[in-house]
Amino acid sequence: MMNYLRIFLFVLLQALVVSRIQLFDGLVLPFIYIFSLLMFPFDTPRWAMLLIGFFTGILMDLFTGPPGLHTSACLLLAFLQPLVQNMLAPREGYDSNLKPTIHKMGLAWYTTYAGILTFAHHTWLIFFEFLRWDKFFFQLFHILLSSIATLLLMILAQLLISPNKKSS
Amino acid sequence: MGNLLALLQRFHMLLLFLVLQVFSLIVLFSENNFHRKEFIRHSSDFAGYIYEKRDEFTSYLRLAEINDQLAIENAALRSLLPENYITSDTATFKAQGVRQQFTYTPAKVVNATVSRKRNYLTLNKGYAEGIGIEMGVIANGSIVGIVSSVSENYSIVMPILHTKFQGSVKMKGTGEFGILEWPGGDPLFAFVKEIPKHVYINVGDTVITTGFSSHFPEGMLIGSVEALEDKPEENFHRIKVKLATDYRKVAWVQVVKNLQKMEIDSLQQQQIIADGGEE
Repeated sequence: MMNYLRIFLFVLLQALVVSRIQLFDGLVLPFIYIFSLLMFPFDTPRWAMLLIGFFTGILMDLFTGPPGLHTSACLLLAFLQPLVQNMLAPREGYDSNLKPTIHKMGLAWYTTYAGILTFAHHTWLIFFEFLRWDKFFFQLFHILLSSIATLLLMILAQLLISPNKKSS
Repeated sequence: MGNLLALLQRFHMLLLFLVLQVFSLIVLFSENNFHRKEFIRHSSDFAGYIYEKRDEFTSYLRLAEINDQLAIENAALRSLLPENYITSDTATFKAQGVRQQFTYTPAKVVNATVSRKRNYLTLNKGYAEGIGIEMGVIANGSIVGIVSSVSENYSIVMPILHTKFQGSVKMKGTGEFGILEWPGGDPLFAFVKEIPKHVYINVGDTVITTGFSSHFPEGMLIGSVEALEDKPEENFHRIKVKLATDYRKVAWVQVVKNLQKMEIDSLQQQQIIADGGEE
């Protein structure tokens, strides 16, 4: 339940606060709302993950046009998420109901996991938004810096929100 | 058949992904799709409401800035008062044969983006207040954009900062016509094209609206020439224009309603019907 609630919270956070951040004339624009997708437990069925990603994207598109843009990028993220999880799985696999967080999996694991997915999502999103290559370097930096900003915010959010859960 | 089922079984995730992906890309790239327009119409009502709630909080932080904008505009309006004009006794000025063509509705900007390729502004008034599609939007005497969709209480404005925006403009001094476009990127500058190279353009020249389109009155400020970025292989100037509207700060706007537009449109419609419909 918390997982679904988190989607609404982070989409609102994105639309009302984070999208207002326009550092360096829009060069850095984090898309923190994907954090709610990355938090889904490892044993979420793949088809469910795809549908969750699809509807999260539609929800985000409600706030920022053009329609279909975030839907498309979130779908890619939801499709890749289990693949990346499998790629990074420990030899004995994941415990059931385990969540991909820094506290459970460690900072290095999380940075790789979230880094790959964030970069894929941002690249797809920004490519389909601009669809032109005459400002190649601007877009490249836009993608890279925005991904880094998103990743930092996601790590920060976890360290701030649940500092005590490390022991559990 | 068994093989097919096994194949489906094996790739059903990929299939589901592809089906949904194709769906969203079709929505993204079909410009005139009915469902897409309905989606935008409904979403602007929903998102507009939430944006307005946020704006109620954040506008307090910008009160000083908004005050300044309003004070400047007040001063400009005050200068138009009849007391400021010398009336002569011999010839009384009679406003006969004068019809009002444009009316203005104030509206508040509740959301604005400037950093994307297709930016939009959300206004807190919709068709319930008489706002309609294709109406012009101005702020402090300079143009902001054109209303692109309306719901009951909100409307979405396509500003100059949208790669599909095109406006007919002219140079204030010479009256030379051009097309205003925004290529994306810097929200402070747009480009005027289609003015031939033999026309002499000065840096600092003023760019204004033509009044050809029914969106705006003639002579509204658009911006001033910042630089000429001509390319040798082209026969037309590439004029970089510093926009008069700072979209990052615009808070109140006025929606321009053209009272004659209905009359002109219905007259043209009658003519088309009299001629036996459109070709």
